[in-house]
Amino acid sequence: MKRTLVHLVSLFVLIALGSCEKEYILRTNPADAKIVIEGLVTDKPGYQYVKISRSTDFYSSGKTPRVTDALVRVTDSDGVTTEFVHNPGAHPDSSGYYKPVAPFLGALGKTYSLVVIADGQEYRGEDTLYPVTTVDSLTYQINEDEQEDPEHPGRYYEVLIYTREPQETRDYYLFNFYRNDSLTLANPEDIYFTDDIVLAEAINGITMPIFFSQGDKATVEAFSISRQAFVFFNDLSILLNNDGGMYSPPPANCRNNLSNGALGFFRASAVTSMDIVVE
Amino acid sequence: MKQFSWGVILLIAFPLSAAAQDKATISGYVRDASNGEELIGVTVYIPSLQAGTTTNAYGFYSLSLPPGTYTLQFSYVGFKNTSLDIELTGNVTRNIAMESEATYIQEVVVEDEAIDANVTDVQMSRNTIDMNQVRKLPALFGEVDIIKNVQMLPGVITAGEGTSSFFVRGGSADQNLILIDEAPVYDPSHLFGLFSVFNADVIKDSELYKGGIPARFGGRLSSILEVRTKDGNNREFHGTGGIGSMASRIMLEGPIRKEKSSFIVSARRSYADLFLRAANEDNLVYFFDVNAKANWRHNNNNRFFVALYAGRDDLSFSDDAGFGWGNATATFRWNHLFNDRLFSNISLIASNFDYALEIFDPAQGLKWTSNLQELSLKNDLSYFINPGNELSFGYHITGRRFSPGTIKPNTPGSIFTTVELQKQYALDHALYLSNRQNIGSRMTVDYGVRLSIFQQVGKGDIFLYEDPKDNVDIVRTDTLTFGAWENIKTYVNLEPRVAVRYSLRPGQSLKFSYNRMVQNTHLIASGTVPVPFNTWNPSGYYLKPQIADQFAAGYFRNFRDNTLEFSVEAYYKTMSNVTDFADNAQLFFNEDLSTEFRQGDSESYGLEFMLNKTEGRLTGMVGYTWSHTVRHIEGVNLGREFFANYDRRNVINIMATYEHSERWSFGATFTYATGRPITLPEGKYEFGNYNPDVITERNGYRLNDYHRLDLSATLRQRVRPNRKWRGEWVFSIFNVYNQQNAFTVYTRTKQDDDGNIIGDGTEKEARLVYLFPILPSVTYNFTF
Repeated sequence: MKRTLVHLVSLFVLIALGSCEKEYILRTNPADAKIVIEGLVTDKPGYQYVKISRSTDFYSSGKTPRVTDALVRVTDSDGVTTEFVHNPGAHPDSSGYYKPVAPFLGALGKTYSLVVIADGQEYRGEDTLYPVTTVDSLTYQINEDEQEDPEHPGRYYEVLIYTREPQETRDYYLFNFYRNDSLTLANPEDIYFTDDIVLAEAINGITMPIFFSQGDKATVEAFSISRQAFVFFNDLSILLNNDGGMYSPPPANCRNNLSNGALGFFRASAVTSMDIVVE
Repeated sequence: MKQFSWGVILLIAFPLSAAAQDKATISGYVRDASNGEELIGVTVYIPSLQAGTTTNAYGFYSLSLPPGTYTLQFSYVGFKNTSLDIELTGNVTRNIAMESEATYIQEVVVEDEAIDANVTDVQMSRNTIDMNQVRKLPALFGEVDIIKNVQMLPGVITAGEGTSSFFVRGGSADQNLILIDEAPVYDPSHLFGLFSVFNADVIKDSELYKGGIPARFGGRLSSILEVRTKDGNNREFHGTGGIGSMASRIMLEGPIRKEKSSFIVSARRSYADLFLRAANEDNLVYFFDVNAKANWRHNNNNRFFVALYAGRDDLSFSDDAGFGWGNATATFRWNHLFNDRLFSNISLIASNFDYALEIFDPAQGLKWTSNLQELSLKNDLSYFINPGNELSFGYHITGRRFSPGTIKPNTPGSIFTTVELQKQYALDHALYLSNRQNIGSRMTVDYGVRLSIFQQVGKGDIFLYEDPKDNVDIVRTDTLTFGAWENIKTYVNLEPRVAVRYSLRPGQSLKFSYNRMVQNTHLIASGTVPVPFNTWNPSGYYLKPQIADQFAAGYFRNFRDNTLEFSVEAYYKTMSNVTDFADNAQLFFNEDLSTEFRQGDSESYGLEFMLNKTEGRLTGMVGYTWSHTVRHIEGVNLGREFFANYDRRNVINIMATYEHSERWSFGATFTYATGRPITLPEGKYEFGNYNPDVITERNGYRLNDYHRLDLSATLRQRVRPNRKWRGEWVFSIFNVYNQQNAFTVYTRTKQDDDGNIIGDGTEKEARLVYLFPILPSVTYNFTF
């Protein structure tokens, strides 16, 4: 929420100043490609993966280069190790993705350690899996402002979320929203995450950031994240939405939990989800 | 914790009797004959002695001389020279009324020798802003703004148009102390810096001190911008006003009791909604300022002033969100003459800055407020020992309360709960003593010292951390609890100040100065330009005082009977404990804010050339600044040195006004500056659905050079003898050749103008933001 407020301020400054924009061509110096690791362990089946890629030139297009020959394994705090193998289904879209060799689920309260060996270098990461509050219910209603002037014809239903935020623990959350099972962002640079410092217990009727049409299926997926993951997503959000350091901090790389200069994050989360069909 | 309390510290009793007894004193006030306003900085010179003084901030002068017959010459920019012959046998009071020169100079003939204060004054690195000239210069949207003028001075750097922040000799924007009638203004901006809070109609005098800062000022590292408002005409009732494209203003002044007391009130309000591009009817954007002042001259020895300022911005967007911020200040002053030679001013000053931010939503409604209050008592005394020695001393005490933030739900169904960050309290004492001494006929030395004692006091809790610099994995190990007024941390600093002037020959001098400045209030902002939503923190358990040492040397020369002033100054400034913040610092609403603090060093040096033409049809200034500023802060940019955000190598500024005829005058300003440093990516990577940038170096790039030309023309109504009303039209063109100067550059997913993503969403683009295209404006001003 704080993040949203800060962005609002930055945005309104520029609106208030009546700014104009044009494209600007960066004189980028080709930097050495860095290893990028994106890993996820959850308490539900199907979510576990580690994706390994490389950073690339600012003006490149298409997928970034993938690393397909890395050694990947995850060890839990009990010492149980799970090997991850590259693209076991040999799916062409899953190049760079590593999946557990055997069915593997995370468990609440455990800490998971990732080891990746790529290009002869070792990268490590560690994260703890915390519990997540369940979503109590979802409802939907017409958003009148959107109905008057919908961005997409017919898409003017908003979905409201009801839940309880446990007040006795310090919790951090990340949310994904799906329209008909397709992950959707209201803006390409949006990340939906929060801490609970200013949250009350009763979360009644907070709206999803995206709109739906009649017949659409709306899904919310809530993840518990660690403090470190919260910091990473906060930094990522600042980086994606920065104004070049005029009013907001100068852009900087995200603080993460990976060693040896790797970019990305290795995350352990409990996950809960709920869906509703707008009728 | 030891209970620590400061009682009233009595002023050092100065041995007043010690000075020579066989002298007589002439003293008094110098005023503008037309309206009774005291004139500040008038040169008072006795040719036969080759000695003199200047009037102080309240228009007072005093000279103690051996009995005899003297001629005193009074000179001041824009006023006719006045002289006074006097046979001095005992102490006398002479109040002087000076006649102003006509605004339009018929003939370019300089009758008297103009003043050479530029050369003879011991003060260097000071610029006086001539309001008469500023009014004729082009202004953005036609709103005359002294801060925009300050930004044009040599040694001053700006982040770009549309901001009210300025950077003096390698210092950041929060290192400037901005005073209105002695009261500090914490945020001088309206509409995020588009305009400043200073309504030009009420400004009498303003000065910027960049170096050689006198001992009576303290608290900020880099500059003092002192703005004094008019006292109000004590002879007759007058009004001034203006109708502009952005805002309108009205000012009324007049006597309460003729020549005894007077008042001035002014108000300004914008109707800025018009220029909002996206004409969303629900949006509301406006600001206002109100200044009011009254003064009462009880007798020549006692004078009282009350000055008030309030200004506020309110912005709301489509019933979704509202922002507001504002300053309010109040000053009560008592000028008292103990005797002809001992002048005292006591000021009681209050200042408040606050902001509020509100989101209107049934589920996500909240109100966020923050404020900062300060209350000061100052006693400043001047003792005019003899023409060769003028002693200044005083005592200041300031109490501050910082309320960094409270978040409250504003609807019953809001998901938010009330959270308040703890308040912080600080006490600030300063004692200073300085003497301005003439040594021989060629040298003047101003030397002094300021002792600053700063305390962070309770009540409050200080959190101790396993690692106080770890802002990710924050582990509090203990909490120190302090009761009300209990001392948390005290910092004592001695700030020496020295200024020397050596006259080479008439019209030429060399000056040197050294000053140490200490700053104990720290702006919590990591952007280049502060926004009103930034908060301030006192020095304390974690934040150390920022300290600056500045050496400056200059050569000053006047040409053509002092109508052309030239100066070149060089400075070298080092700063320690400069407050900065960790990369990605979370500065808003952070209970563990201290984990984000990073303090380090800064080094700056530069060369400033200035040519000023003060008389004639064509007047103006040409300034050139070469400067270099780097920072070295552990924990920022991997501990590597980096250019400060406002490091610009070359800056050229030109301001000129030309009096064409009785009816027409013209103005022009031109500015050129090396592009400012900026942090831009070296690459990108993929994470989930996002394509974040790879950053390698803070401020590793530079924006393109900045340059802009503005023009103005003023058409005055014919003077009609029996009509009091006089009007003028001011036409301004901002950014005449429509330069698209870079304000900032940011990156985003490649998209078209409607926000539709181009390609597969993996491509990125950099966008240059620029503010103002060519912008004409018209303002109608009137006086009656």
